[in-house]
Amino acid sequence: MKERIRSKEDTIEALHAVAAEMHDRMMRGEPPRMTLPVRSKKNINFDERLNVYKYGKKKTIRDATSLGSAHQLLRALFVTEFMEEMIEGQKSSTLREMYYISEGWGYGKFGSQNESNNLAEDLEIVTGCLREDFKLRPEEDGARIIGNLTFEEKNRRGEWMRINCRDDVGDSGYGVPYNVESEKLRLISHDIDFMMAIETGGMFDRLVENGFDESARCGLIHLKGQPARSTRRIMKRINEEWGLPIVVFTDCDPWSFRIFASIAYGAIKTAHISEYLATPSAIYLGIDSDDIKAYDLPSDELTSRDIEALKAEKSDPRFQNQEWADQIDLMLELGEKAEQQSLAKYGLDFVTDTYLPEKLRQKLGIQIG
Amino acid sequence: MVIGMDKAQRIANKQKQISISEFFEKNKHFLGFDTHQRAIITAVKEAVDNSLDACEESRILPDIHVYIKRIEGGKLELIIQDNGPGIPRDSIANVFGKFLLGSRFHAIRQTRGQQGIGITGVVMYSQLTTGSSTTVLSKIEAESTAVKVDLALDTKNNRALKSNEERIPMEEWFEESGMQTLHGLRIKTVMSAKYQRGRQSVHQYLRMTSIVNPHATIRLKVIGKEGEIVDEGEWVRSTSKLPRTVVEIKPHPHGMQFGTLQRMLKNTKERTVKSFLRKEFEKVSPLVAKKILEHAELDEKRRPAGLSVEGIQSLLAAFMEVKIQSPPVDCLSPIEDLLIKKGLEKAIDSRYAATVTRNPSVSQGNPFQVEVGLVFGGDLPSDGAVELLRFANRVPLMYQQGGCLLTKAIESIDWRRYGLEQPGGKGVPKGPAAILVHLASTNVQFTSEAKEAVSDNEEVHDELRRALFEVGRGLQSHRKRVGQREKSREKFDLINKILPEIASKSSSMLGREAPDLSPIITKIMNAVFCEEQVIWEPKEKLAKCSIRIYNYTARARAYTIIAKWPESDSTSIVKNEKGGRKEARGLWAWRLDAIDPGSMASIDFTVSGLNKGDWKEAEVFYRGNGEMIGSEKIDETLLEEARKQERLQEVVEEFVVPGASTSSHEKDTFSLDSNIVSSEVWEAGDKLF
Repeated sequence: MKERIRSKEDTIEALHAVAAEMHDRMMRGEPPRMTLPVRSKKNINFDERLNVYKYGKKKTIRDATSLGSAHQLLRALFVTEFMEEMIEGQKSSTLREMYYISEGWGYGKFGSQNESNNLAEDLEIVTGCLREDFKLRPEEDGARIIGNLTFEEKNRRGEWMRINCRDDVGDSGYGVPYNVESEKLRLISHDIDFMMAIETGGMFDRLVENGFDESARCGLIHLKGQPARSTRRIMKRINEEWGLPIVVFTDCDPWSFRIFASIAYGAIKTAHISEYLATPSAIYLGIDSDDIKAYDLPSDELTSRDIEALKAEKSDPRFQNQEWADQIDLMLELGEKAEQQSLAKYGLDFVTDTYLPEKLRQKLGIQIG
Repeated sequence: MVIGMDKAQRIANKQKQISISEFFEKNKHFLGFDTHQRAIITAVKEAVDNSLDACEESRILPDIHVYIKRIEGGKLELIIQDNGPGIPRDSIANVFGKFLLGSRFHAIRQTRGQQGIGITGVVMYSQLTTGSSTTVLSKIEAESTAVKVDLALDTKNNRALKSNEERIPMEEWFEESGMQTLHGLRIKTVMSAKYQRGRQSVHQYLRMTSIVNPHATIRLKVIGKEGEIVDEGEWVRSTSKLPRTVVEIKPHPHGMQFGTLQRMLKNTKERTVKSFLRKEFEKVSPLVAKKILEHAELDEKRRPAGLSVEGIQSLLAAFMEVKIQSPPVDCLSPIEDLLIKKGLEKAIDSRYAATVTRNPSVSQGNPFQVEVGLVFGGDLPSDGAVELLRFANRVPLMYQQGGCLLTKAIESIDWRRYGLEQPGGKGVPKGPAAILVHLASTNVQFTSEAKEAVSDNEEVHDELRRALFEVGRGLQSHRKRVGQREKSREKFDLINKILPEIASKSSSMLGREAPDLSPIITKIMNAVFCEEQVIWEPKEKLAKCSIRIYNYTARARAYTIIAKWPESDSTSIVKNEKGGRKEARGLWAWRLDAIDPGSMASIDFTVSGLNKGDWKEAEVFYRGNGEMIGSEKIDETLLEEARKQERLQEVVEEFVVPGASTSSHEKDTFSLDSNIVSSEVWEAGDKLF
């Protein structure tokens, strides 16, 4: 496991390089610019060595010949200046705080939080640093975990605190912090056979109430939709350090496929750090398209947005294998999608007594009970 | 202004009686009283139209008040009051108590209440639905007291029954009417009717009326049963210029129909058909009359009343075979584009207004003229269909939009190319706009007696389309200008604000020297920019136009800049230090020599004779090489065309002046006319023969 937190000096030097690219060009009488990899599905390639998807060679040049790009450059300078101040002053701020701080930046002000988040990612990419190096924290709260796993987390007083995710937590489980690197979180011990990641809160709570973590000897982790970086990172550490399989249980719709892809193959937005976040061995458990027929589940018709999303996935390099092509085509053919909760059609225990044991046996060869 | 007894009397006398009251009692829908919602609109409409017509004839700036009060039993009390000439005591019963036919058969001109039926319908509707009489309070200037009288109708005998007639002293008149004028009219009536708001409402009718009558002040107040205000509106006049007096003309042979001709022959005082043709028609000289009768194979000496059906038919046929000059067109009263603009701006808040008044034209012996206005942007809703404001002789048309020629003309245009949404390029366009169409004519043909939709006429349709194209093109270039202005503002922000900050921030972060920005600016802009602005100087009452040309290219540039300005007889360029010369009517040109790279040239001039808001946007053209952002290259062929038109106009004016002076026109009317008669009218006239 690589540890890659940079020194203060390295980070500031990397930030200065951004300003220097602009300044050098201006001294030559050219409009200032910033060079970035193209951040879309058209520019992600499979990295054989790392086993995940990374940005390819396509570059986009953001130069000051249009108002929009010039704004971006000015913002990048404001942000790097702000980061330098935080690093020097040993402070940190959330992405949202930075967005509000930008109110005082005049023409460097952000139009939306999305813009500031994207720019922080841009700077990670061009400097090769992580946002932790920049002293930026995400706003998003991490996932919840329940199961017989024991971690040690460094608390605000700097003491290591031992927590068992079954015995030391309430019904809402252990809250994953935004920083899950080893200086903050240690993996101590476990008595489980696999980790199950669950898309929706309703299903997570159902499995907890039914005691599925004990009956199936697993850890449950709630993804909260598209999983945050720390959620993906902790799954990766559990998988690598404990050698436990990760299975992903989601709704049956085009967006769930993307959630799984970001866990297993790397997300398009964070392809520069896929090797720290993605778990290539993760397994998609369900709900599969053919489950709708096989289990006769209540379903909804695909919306036009859903169909567009599926078509886009067909040209997404991460879905270019036979299994995914079949899944996507089948969903398009059926024209239907289903929620995890639709399993409740057969009663509250059906998912834990019948559906999940069958799927686990089918996909992992695990026998339960 | 003194309005003599004889003037008011004359207006009253001009209406001739016809005994059709019984017929209308059974067919009240013809009068627009078919539903309770519509009844109140029609009542207001008839009264307001009469008020506007009367004020116009007496050259009074109208002040019209409409009060409506909801009372028990699904009834409304309606009071309408104006500062018009009033009606002499002896004419009141005639004006309100009989169905009348206006001057239609005897004199042709453009009036609102063209067929003279209407206000009596209000009296009758009130009587039929509530049993109430209508109270009229009238004051004419020549008398020291006002007349107050209650009117009911004897529909069998087509006459009015007066009761409770009394004379009101001057002080009481002032008090009761609340008016300070020595003349005016107040009508009070009660009817079964329902007040509703919305697209088809009294409010909308008055709003539309105020748009095409910018010289009128109109107020509306609607009170509920508990005294609460249900609706109100106030449209204050935006000009004190009255519509010009319309000149009466006689019928033109080309507009004749069998029935009309038969009636004219029967009623004429002339003793022979020849003198009948000469005296009762426009543009029939002795020679023309002789030719007509030759073609019809009729004896000149025949008595008009004695013509047989065959005789009348051969006369009608002869009308079409003999060359006859077009009728005069000065009998029309267009609103005129500047006033339409004012009217629209008074009622609708928008960013852009374009108006076109076409030259008068002739169809089947009837002069007509179309006017179009278009407003765009501002607070107008952008999701729905464009609001259509239809008018015939300044009267709003509120019903039967789909079946109306004015709508069809709008629908026939592909508005997509002018920047409005329109699925399939047909139908009423969508977007933040309103389109006004006005047809002025001595004889507006409607699809039905309800007079809500203009019937098809190819020549009118074509004229409408030409006018709509013109405002459409205006909208298109406005949108282009807005887009370009936006684009250049962005570029200016970029080089003046963002770039210097990038330079200073990066140098201070790195502790390096600040770069020189000028070569970078040239690389970023790499174009010539034109900025124009028109601002109003309230103190000096001048519109000030500033034009700036920035050269952000690597070499020096030279241009001729041509600006469009609102040239007219009453406007002139005042301050203009750069001099220049007149390029054509409404176009002024300046020669700019060598604007160096990175430098700017400016032109400033002011225009007098305008009012605030008359001129908001200057169109700037250039002659020279390359592109100029914010300006268009002048179209030399169009310019040549404009010059040609102008020369023709001058020629026409020279010829029209002596010709017109032989006729009985007053001098002031004639001088107005010469402005609008153009070559096109003459061409159109020639084509008819």
